Amino acid sequence: MNAAAYEQRTLPRPLPVGQAGRHTPGWWGMLALIGTEASIFAYLIFSYFYLQSQTSQPWPPSGPPSLHLAVPSTVLLLASIATMWWAESRLRLGRMAMVYTGLVLTLLLGVAYVVLQCVDWHLQPFLPSSNAHASLYYAITALHVLHAATAVVMLAAMIWWCALGHIDAQHHTAVTIAALYWYFVVAVWIAVFITLYLMPWIDPH
Amino acid sequence: MAVNSTYHTPAIVTPDKGLKRKLESMWSDPPGRYGWLATTDHKMIGKRYLVTAFVFLILGGLEALGMRLQLAQPNEHLLPPELYNQFFSMHGMTMIFLYSLPILSGFSNYLWPLILGTRDMAFPRLNAFTYWVFLLAGIFLYIGFWEGKGTDVGWFNYVPLASRAYDPDWNVDIYSLGMVFLGISTTAGAVNFIATMFRTRAPGMSISRVPIMIWGTLVANIGILFAVPAVSLDFLLLWLDRRFGTQFFDVSGGGRPLLWQHLFWIFGHPWVYAIVLPAMSIVSQGLPVYCRRPLVAHSAVVLATILTMVLGFGVWVHHMFATGLPPIAMGYFAAASFVIVIPSAVSVFAWVATIWTGRPVFTTAFKFFVAEIVLFVIGGVSGFMTASVPLDLQLTDTYFVVAHIHYVLIGINVFPVVGGIYHWFPKMTGRLMDERLGRWNFWLMFIGFNLGFFPMHISGLEGMPRRIYTYPANMGWGNLNLITTIGSFVFALGVLLFVINVIRSRSRGERASANPWDASTLEWATESPPPSYNFAVIPRVASLHPLWESRLDERSRSTLHEGPVLDDGHQLPGTTPLDAEPDVILDMPSLTLAPLVTALLIAGTFLGLLLTTWWLAGACMLAMIPTLLWWLWPRAEAGWAVDA
Repeated sequence: MNAAAYEQRTLPRPLPVGQAGRHTPGWWGMLALIGTEASIFAYLIFSYFYLQSQTSQPWPPSGPPSLHLAVPSTVLLLASIATMWWAESRLRLGRMAMVYTGLVLTLLLGVAYVVLQCVDWHLQPFLPSSNAHASLYYAITALHVLHAATAVVMLAAMIWWCALGHIDAQHHTAVTIAALYWYFVVAVWIAVFITLYLMPWIDPH
Repeated sequence: MAVNSTYHTPAIVTPDKGLKRKLESMWSDPPGRYGWLATTDHKMIGKRYLVTAFVFLILGGLEALGMRLQLAQPNEHLLPPELYNQFFSMHGMTMIFLYSLPILSGFSNYLWPLILGTRDMAFPRLNAFTYWVFLLAGIFLYIGFWEGKGTDVGWFNYVPLASRAYDPDWNVDIYSLGMVFLGISTTAGAVNFIATMFRTRAPGMSISRVPIMIWGTLVANIGILFAVPAVSLDFLLLWLDRRFGTQFFDVSGGGRPLLWQHLFWIFGHPWVYAIVLPAMSIVSQGLPVYCRRPLVAHSAVVLATILTMVLGFGVWVHHMFATGLPPIAMGYFAAASFVIVIPSAVSVFAWVATIWTGRPVFTTAFKFFVAEIVLFVIGGVSGFMTASVPLDLQLTDTYFVVAHIHYVLIGINVFPVVGGIYHWFPKMTGRLMDERLGRWNFWLMFIGFNLGFFPMHISGLEGMPRRIYTYPANMGWGNLNLITTIGSFVFALGVLLFVINVIRSRSRGERASANPWDASTLEWATESPPPSYNFAVIPRVASLHPLWESRLDERSRSTLHEGPVLDDGHQLPGTTPLDAEPDVILDMPSLTLAPLVTALLIAGTFLGLLLTTWWLAGACMLAMIPTLLWWLWPRAEAGWAVDA
């Protein structure tokens, strides 16, 4: 087969070099990472309901948890989806001022969530060693805070790289991937919030 | 060497010496210590995995021989009970976690880019990272053993025996943290394989043209992605229970010991498939070469592989039949365990039909592959027996189960691995292994294995429990155990011959051509050993057997000696997930110490946690932030906006 025929079949057009949004292996890597991280939370929530099903005591032993801080946390994280999405979509248009605003707002919402969660721990009437429910409560929320803190560090890196000029409308892959991780962190919180905070109010236990 | 334009149309050429020299200078590692530590070459990493995992196999094997000497006769006093406990626990842990998956990762790391017709894995630095973490976690898991504090309550580490109240020393703490540590390597490796499969296949290698070897490893790694978190979590919770008095497994605080078993086996059974499916796919890839025909029912075998993994997630309770679960649960899990026989049989019948309708060449590799089929059937039948609840209640925790697990893991993992080395050794080293020594190697291993492990079925049926360090003479198990011990030493002698053969053939073996077995897949299309860049031009694939197209009378022909020039850095084409049409030129990173430093920081974190030196753990974790930034720092060649 001659070169021209070959080229026509395999490479009909010039190919982008390096970054190409969701065509980058990094996008796939992040999807796989999310799959495995989501499994950890799924197994934790499985453990929670398993131990609940095995106990004859009230669950949680100290009664349904206070929602005073958990509901604001949820609102903050839901709002952060909007700011993150806004930053990402403005990036593709090259509106860098809006990108900074969106990223910084998302970062601040993330930090606020982490702070609220730490306060919530101090207000709980139990310690990690009090009982199995308390152990799981702290394990699940602490693991989630760790994920949120990781995402905050990622956002800080994105803001820094924007400032250095590494990220712009043609080079948005890193932000697209970081945003995917951010949405995942929020989605996990919804599952955690329903399991730890809402279910005890619904459950007749 | 920055790429200035964002788009590039590669020229199509037939590679000449100049191009090869340019690629060689670009892809080969610099000599010296830096090149050795900073390499991201998948072939180098693959060989390191193979050698390291084999060293662990030998360590685990020596532990097994120690146990066999202790059990050779009734009332032996060679190993005191405390040490015997550590021997069988370390043996299980070593073989299951430090040998059987890492050895397969070695094959896959070495072979994947070659079989896929490309130049590297999707994440070369992550690849280096997974090896360093595996090595460091392996050492971590062994640190206690040298001090007489190896893990000592069995590899599946049941609570409450593994809790602080009954095992207060460091033994189980090392095991718990070491397993979380090792899980990082396994999971990161899985991410890498999945991205590699879906993004970097050679143009034209559409989903129906992906060789079987890739499928086995891919399916195993997708399983790993969802299974390993269960065991990492399990060990983390146990460590928290032991160190901070949490109550996950403690009945007095509302915890449940059975939670340990559920999480462990939710991981454990998919793990069995993770360590056998890639090995089975080695057989599916290698066996047909020696039968001089394609694998019978390729698509059915692929689908059976996928189905086995899916079903593998729904059978974990068959490890827990004796724990007093409700009959409805046992009924479901027994049925699911029986169903798994069907996809397993598909592979077996496909292999038998391949031999039956082929013209077998009786090389050493072929014999190892055939032995796998025989041992798989025996191990499968004993597995089928224990899937039945009433029989399992009789057999559980006896030597029958020990026989079963060894038929499965040695039969379906070690035999294909040794056969696979005979098969791919010429590709890796450019030299053939010695066939005469190979015959002795094979028959000693095959006879020794059956002599050693078959009698265990009988001692199990006679009621000999597993994990006992000795037994009284009047139980009548003496002769069977003596035969088992003799068999295990014959098997070990076979393994020794294998090691000798590898070492001798590396320097003195007969020179191998590019395709000494006349095989059909792309790894045989390049030189033996392959150049640092694998392929001077990226092939275009037109069928499942690119090197057998004329004899199979395929309608289309792959293009192997003419293709796009990608010589501006570590470039390879990114292709679409299903059709494998090129859609981007990827520039791969290379030569960096970031993966090694990150792995060392993780090791420091776990050491700090183990010694409860919190500042050390905290400092290492914080230091990971700048290290990861260094790792991921934007590079112009990878298409970032960087002023070059």
